Amino acid sequence: MIYLDNAATTKPDAECLKKAKKYLYEDFYNPSSVYKEGYDLKLDLLSAKEEILSHIANPRDFDLIVTSCGTEADNHALFCGAKRGNVVTTMGEHSAVYNAAKELSQRGTDVRYAKLKEDGSVNGDDLLSLVDEKTSFVSCIHVNNETGAISDVNALASAVKKKAPGALFHSDGVQAFGKLPFKIGKDVDMYSVSAHKIGGMKGCGALFLRKKISIKPYIYGGGQEGGMRSGTENVFGIKMFEFAAAKRFSKLEENYERAAHMRDCLLKSLDDELFKVISSDKASPYIVCVSVLGVRGETIVHEAGDRGLLIGSGSACSSNEKKRYSRVILACGVPEADADGILRISFSPETTEDETIECARILNETVKSRKEIMG
Amino acid sequence: MTTVIIIRYSEIYLKGKNRGFFERLLEENISKALKGIKCERVKQSGRYLLEGYDEGDVDEILFRLGRVFGIHDLSVAEKVPSDMDEILRASLYVCEEKGSFKVLCQRADKSFPLNSMEICAEIGGKILEARPDLSVDIHQPDFYVSIDVRENGTSLVFKDRVKGPGGMPVGTAGKGLLLLSGGIDSPVAGHMIAKRGMKVDGIHFHSYPYTNLQAKEKVITLAKKLSPYTSGMTLYIVRVTKIQEEIHKKCNADFMVALLRRFMVRIAEIVSQKDGAQCIITGESLGQVASQTIEGMTSTGLVTSLPILRPLVGFDKEEIIERAKAIDTFSTSIEPFEDCCTVFLPRHPVIHPKISDIEREEGKLDVDSLVREAVSDIEILRL
Repeated sequence: MIYLDNAATTKPDAECLKKAKKYLYEDFYNPSSVYKEGYDLKLDLLSAKEEILSHIANPRDFDLIVTSCGTEADNHALFCGAKRGNVVTTMGEHSAVYNAAKELSQRGTDVRYAKLKEDGSVNGDDLLSLVDEKTSFVSCIHVNNETGAISDVNALASAVKKKAPGALFHSDGVQAFGKLPFKIGKDVDMYSVSAHKIGGMKGCGALFLRKKISIKPYIYGGGQEGGMRSGTENVFGIKMFEFAAAKRFSKLEENYERAAHMRDCLLKSLDDELFKVISSDKASPYIVCVSVLGVRGETIVHEAGDRGLLIGSGSACSSNEKKRYSRVILACGVPEADADGILRISFSPETTEDETIECARILNETVKSRKEIMG
Repeated sequence: MTTVIIIRYSEIYLKGKNRGFFERLLEENISKALKGIKCERVKQSGRYLLEGYDEGDVDEILFRLGRVFGIHDLSVAEKVPSDMDEILRASLYVCEEKGSFKVLCQRADKSFPLNSMEICAEIGGKILEARPDLSVDIHQPDFYVSIDVRENGTSLVFKDRVKGPGGMPVGTAGKGLLLLSGGIDSPVAGHMIAKRGMKVDGIHFHSYPYTNLQAKEKVITLAKKLSPYTSGMTLYIVRVTKIQEEIHKKCNADFMVALLRRFMVRIAEIVSQKDGAQCIITGESLGQVASQTIEGMTSTGLVTSLPILRPLVGFDKEEIIERAKAIDTFSTSIEPFEDCCTVFLPRHPVIHPKISDIEREEGKLDVDSLVREAVSDIEILRL
């Protein structure tokens, strides 16, 4: 089975699992316990969090709030970061931000959505035109999870702060962390990440929060995470996150080049009469979005699965028009006919060239035979 | 004083020599419905008593019995020795805190010293003495106190009668195969036919990879929701992708649904023979969509010798939705997954197909081998 849906989740890293195993079987204690075994774990977690932070931010400037997933980190940022005035986000957000923003709007907040460029990155001019002195919160996705388009969130944050110095700037970095060379800039206040997209476990994410920013907790209880996120710590998940992040960042450039090679290899091998490439060449090389003309994406995903290839799709076999097409893909200005055939192929550092070429072969064959049948 | 549940069934259908047959099936269906709950069932004339269950299971028992056809109504009752003091104690126990009441009495034990009128008067009077907040209203009481003096020296005292699902015990009226699409109508059709005592199994057609796994899962959920009413259900899942592709390739696109439905009925007939079903049941309602016209129904009826039951034929959509909500299938049915009928959907389906045109289009296909291929790979689920 060839797995090229790594933007959905990655296989937990075997080396890291081996190292983290002792946190399941030996060091299983509650880090809030007062005996030595528990307290040692607490110290261990503190250093793990600092380690995760240090890859893209200075631990002197940022706190790391461990959450149960990227979605929780996004929700924490929006629901606790957005104050009075208005909120500005984009039409290209992951549902974790987009639907939370919709809920804010239901509760009476003025929420504004910036347009996207054709490649799926945010249209900075449009975003800035929506920001005014009353803007309290801005959220902009770093790497678009459907097209891979990269938005320069550091530059956007600085531009936003010039217009609205009091606004908080948040970015969903779930598809960027551990994949792109990046350091959090001076005007970004919050940044969401997730462990299972880089070889860690599902059930563990984090919100990077600038120290001078004061927001309220999203989940209350026993006061873990400095009171910002209560609930017994997911020790194994956090240690896996630490190990996986360390591994990814130690070979960040090498992995990036490798992913870019896989992308080029895939695009070269796909029959350009059957596929239209949606992702731009400036996008994250880890995500390649293509459209099959005339066949629904999900149909191809099913059939490719039967032939041993697992990939993602951007359209569903839904009888509900609104749910059939990807909101993000339509916001990129892709016509409905193309939006119906969206496929997402996403790599990990483990992806091999053979797998990539075989992926293209299966897709070419599947689409060709399906088109013959469908006339 | 012990709590029991009285299960009453409509005796109207249970006359004559068939009585034993009806009762046996009803008992079987009740046992099946209560599987996993500890209780004993005692037969009395025209009713069953459930005893020996945990108090905490009462709601679950009532919920499950509410899905067993043939049950007319149910009561949670106090069982006491037939003694006026004990009957009074139970009566006070079942009474509401306030409001007006009326005492009703049935006396099967004719040796009991008081007749039913006298029992009502005496118990009613004593309730009033003990509970000054209550009053008697024999015309429009807020609640009833019902007393049933049985032959075996015990009496049952209860307040409410919970309406049962009615109908006939499932299994008393043969077996049918329901075409279950995933839409709103077919589960309702299956429910209606099961209510008349027919055992109902289901058949679902899908066109993977054009339809997704959630669409299939949705139909399995619907079948699971129906199965308490049908006393279990076997679901046959058949892939018709190849048939649709062949129609798409070789025939006039406008005939897709008309031709596909004839294939479905042919396949359903073959499955019925294996399943022991004596008829095909569909959720068709006249004029609802393009294929549900009299011409469409005639055309599908021609390819099978089995009768096709269409209990919803004269129903409006709103009436069907109301019933779907009542049997809790509506929320599942409206999940937006495509079923096979919407794949390759023509822009202008034929509404009044002529048999000669359909047969001409069908002539372009190898019908027998397509049907054979479809039935050779059926997934069977027992729910």
